[in-house]
Amino acid sequence: MGFDAGSAHRPRRKSFLLLFFKKEALACLTPQEFAAITTLKSRLDDLLASRRASETWDAAYQEIVATLSRNGMLDAVLPVGAPFPSFALPSAEGRLVSLAAALSRGPVVLGFFRGAWCPFCRLMLAALTEALPLIEAAGGTLLALTPETGGLPLTMKRYHGAAFEVLADVDFGVGLMAGVVFRIPPLYRERLVASGLEFPQRHGNGAWCLPVPATFIIRPDGIIAERFVNVDFAVRPEPEEIIAALDRLR
Amino acid sequence: MELSQVRYFVTLCQTLNFTRAAAQCHVTQPAFTRAIQKLEDELGGPLLYRERSLTQLTELGRAMRPHLEAMLLAAEAASALAQSFKDAPAASLKIGLGPGIGGAAIAPAVQEMARTLPDLSVHFDESGPAALIEAMLTDTLDCALLPEDCVLPERLNRWALYEERAVAVFPAGHRLSALNAVTADDILEETILAGDRCGDFAGRLADATGATLRLRRCNGPAAQMVDMVGAGLGVALLSERLPVAPQVVTRRFSDPELKRRVVLTTVAGRRLNPAAAGFVRLCRVMAYE
Repeated sequence: MGFDAGSAHRPRRKSFLLLFFKKEALACLTPQEFAAITTLKSRLDDLLASRRASETWDAAYQEIVATLSRNGMLDAVLPVGAPFPSFALPSAEGRLVSLAAALSRGPVVLGFFRGAWCPFCRLMLAALTEALPLIEAAGGTLLALTPETGGLPLTMKRYHGAAFEVLADVDFGVGLMAGVVFRIPPLYRERLVASGLEFPQRHGNGAWCLPVPATFIIRPDGIIAERFVNVDFAVRPEPEEIIAALDRLR
Repeated sequence: MELSQVRYFVTLCQTLNFTRAAAQCHVTQPAFTRAIQKLEDELGGPLLYRERSLTQLTELGRAMRPHLEAMLLAAEAASALAQSFKDAPAASLKIGLGPGIGGAAIAPAVQEMARTLPDLSVHFDESGPAALIEAMLTDTLDCALLPEDCVLPERLNRWALYEERAVAVFPAGHRLSALNAVTADDILEETILAGDRCGDFAGRLADATGATLRLRRCNGPAAQMVDMVGAGLGVALLSERLPVAPQVVTRRFSDPELKRRVVLTTVAGRRLNPAAAGFVRLCRVMAYE
């Protein structure tokens, strides 16, 4: 453990504190204070509960989880121990960024996100933005991949004031190699269309695909050390789990 | 879905024969067939009709084919680009520019490719849409920037890049230079230079106002048209993104607002060299101010 132990323990203490808070007591806090002492999971769960109150949304959500569970798509996701394929992708700022360049600095945390429009991704990106100093202190370089094009990666990056690379996985190329891409089932697609999300324009590809949110911890030699992947887009790893995975590589 | 499934499907689209496609992919036919079935299961229906003598794409198969081809090419391009960072091969990038479309907006993407592939040569070809489309189809151009409203064959991919507005261009000291912005009323008395290679903003103005404009044909590159404006031959309406010479003045054209969208086009399913593939992806991702 060659990094500053005090700062590394801070987020763990936040989660620990949570055990002593009741939800009612949290209501009087500002959003920033609330975010600082709640886990990502509790925020994702709250968001999911509010969305599921809509019957049509809930049906579409259940359809995605059931479809992806049934067709065994997780079997296709790159497993721990496999090399992550080398790639170079355009960044939000219009640079070409290669995995190899990131790995030359140490382990890489590579996350697949659904896009700037997705509130679950926004919660996770906000948590990662906050945890970035700790991720970097643990030696990690964070790369966030989104299938969106047309300036939207920069929109996503600016929205979060993110200091990590946001890369455009144009036409789902890297997602396909990682096995995380699926075709959106009909009900969920209807919900997206109804809310005005034109994926053919946003992606520059009319396949109506998305990645499952997956996070890979990649060793400097390119081998996948750990992965967090779930067919349920509301289930994401805590930043603390990512930092712990990086710590295990030291 | 898996990369191999998509590769098998794209090969099958080309051969329309399970035995030949499996052989081309170096897998046994049962494994090949299982992979296609799994892809069909995930995409929600049959991709092919399997008849004794004839294998044909279903409607779903035809609809998914270009998208899955694009995904497969994207996976290959992302790998090939990473490899070319290591090898730094000599590379060329051949870009077509449609009528009155400048290279300024895409210059940062060209510069990024030159940074990553130092031995890059760049070639620009400025011409009408038909000639540029023909050059792409015969593989003498990698891609082209074209006005959105030109007719494109279905074989071309198209991605909207940016909008551009017209500016009025006139000689320094012209009465219009006193204005902040120019309207249709301000230039109805002027001679407007119009040519095939200036973006046809004069045509848009005529359509929008219904007015009869005093046009003078002036065919040729925009740079020569600007020279003619400087010599007092008339006023030009050109894209705000084109560079202009010091002897002329530009003012925003505000009423009606004359604008057009510029799209990037490539041949669908065509494998581009890493320099061109990287350039096209940078152009598709960038935010244009």
